[in-house]
Amino acid sequence: MAWSYFASPATFYRLAGRMAPWFFALAAISGALGLYIGLYVAPTDAQQGEVYRVIFIHVPAAWMSMFTYFVLACYAAVSLTFNTRLAAMMARALAPTGAMFTFVALWTGAFWGRPTWGTYWVWDARITSELVLLFLYFGFIALTNAFEDPRRGDRAGALLALIGVVNLPIIYFSVKWWNTLHQGSSVSFQGTSMHVQMLWAMLLVAFSFWMYTIGTSLVRCRAIILERESRARWVRELKAA
Amino acid sequence: MFTTDHAFYLWMSYGAAAAAIVAEIVMLRLRRARAAARIEEERDLETTD
Amino acid sequence: MNAAAAVPAPLAPTGSFFAGFAWAFGRDITLALRHPGETLLVVAFFVLVASLFPLGVGADPQLLARIGPGVIWVCALLAAFLSFSALFAGDYADGSLEQMMLSPHPMVGWVTGKIGAHWMISGLPLTVLSPLLGLQYGLAPDTLLALAAALALGTPVLSLLGAACTALTLGARGGGMLLALIALPLFVPVLIFGAGAAEAQASGLSPLPHLSLLGAGLILAVMATPFAACSAIRIAMD
Repeated sequence: MAWSYFASPATFYRLAGRMAPWFFALAAISGALGLYIGLYVAPTDAQQGEVYRVIFIHVPAAWMSMFTYFVLACYAAVSLTFNTRLAAMMARALAPTGAMFTFVALWTGAFWGRPTWGTYWVWDARITSELVLLFLYFGFIALTNAFEDPRRGDRAGALLALIGVVNLPIIYFSVKWWNTLHQGSSVSFQGTSMHVQMLWAMLLVAFSFWMYTIGTSLVRCRAIILERESRARWVRELKAA
Repeated sequence: MFTTDHAFYLWMSYGAAAAAIVAEIVMLRLRRARAAARIEEERDLETTD
Repeated sequence: MNAAAAVPAPLAPTGSFFAGFAWAFGRDITLALRHPGETLLVVAFFVLVASLFPLGVGADPQLLARIGPGVIWVCALLAAFLSFSALFAGDYADGSLEQMMLSPHPMVGWVTGKIGAHWMISGLPLTVLSPLLGLQYGLAPDTLLALAAALALGTPVLSLLGAACTALTLGARGGGMLLALIALPLFVPVLIFGAGAAEAQASGLSPLPHLSLLGAGLILAVMATPFAACSAIRIAMD
């Protein structure tokens, strides 16, 4: 199977251009449905009232932030193993969206924390690990853009992503351990029972975020291809679009 | 829309998420436009040589 | 490599990990001894920053004893971090790194040797000095011992992780701040368990679980990080 056909930026460019709108459409539909269920259909929480509805953004964003980093690391591994440009470009394309969801997870976490736990920032294990994850994303973005030669940036960033994905569980475990020692109180949502509508809303929004991430990554990768492959003839022959 | 005393927190959360998504899309479109413009420019420079 | 294969076996130079390690270790230690100022700077920075904290938070003995282990650990982190640039940058700039890559010794050997020498001139002095700083913070003797033990196990891990990150940023724009952004998140577990060991001892609990985890981390780092550092250097040299 000529997989190398798909590794060609030219092929990917056309393919991604056709696929991206579908992903955005799926994102919009599932997102609207998920938010409808979450905001109107799901019942009020017995303990937290209405403000618990933040979780319909907070939890899917946190899931996406971690999943995206994992996918980024996979593309990094592929780019280092097969020395391909396209895999490295996809890793670069994923990073900003991943960082965005990490930020949203942290922000919504803070605004969920204030009314429920009394403070905007809690050194909760998961929130603190999210913060470290944000720094890992920033580090990746900074490193890949720190070199004149983009291929050097690709490879250095890929190695950093692999180091990061190996260290992320270690960091999470250490922060979790540290948190149980210093906090003592459990600050999770597990106190109340999760209605099935809440679960559906979260899953739908998570799916929506996932489709959105794929869509933006495809579009961003196309932009990166335009930036990097501007010398190539097929780019020159592109109609401006 | 949010009829609760904690409406502020819900608005800040959903609002920030919406703002982040919109900002990302806008910046992506700008990036794409800039890349396309650079290619146009290089193409013009080539044909004029 | 092809030239070496063409030469009859007895005449082709064979390298070994330990020979490479010894060579690089000896070289870097000798160079450091010729410029003792660099080592002393690391130490001076460590002491200086550790002295700033009481000025900032007040001299309340209970507070200082409470924050002492954490503060001393953060100072050690920063001091070690600042010395990373000296690890590969000099050799990268004058071309020695390129020459070393041509060595018959396996790359892992001499890279580990350089990291070992770096620890000797940064992590080890910090570990030895930590009891003195601990006294400044009013820590008890058993806490000082736990702190020193934790630093002894943790600073090599910092040197190893830092070496891989430094190699990644060789010749990059953004310099030290980029290195900080990349390396400091990876240091978090070492900080948590390192400071945790001393704090456990201070609260009357055993520091052994923390020290065991640090030891396990050290073994893991020694086995894995030199290879990551080698890959990073190869990426930098292409």
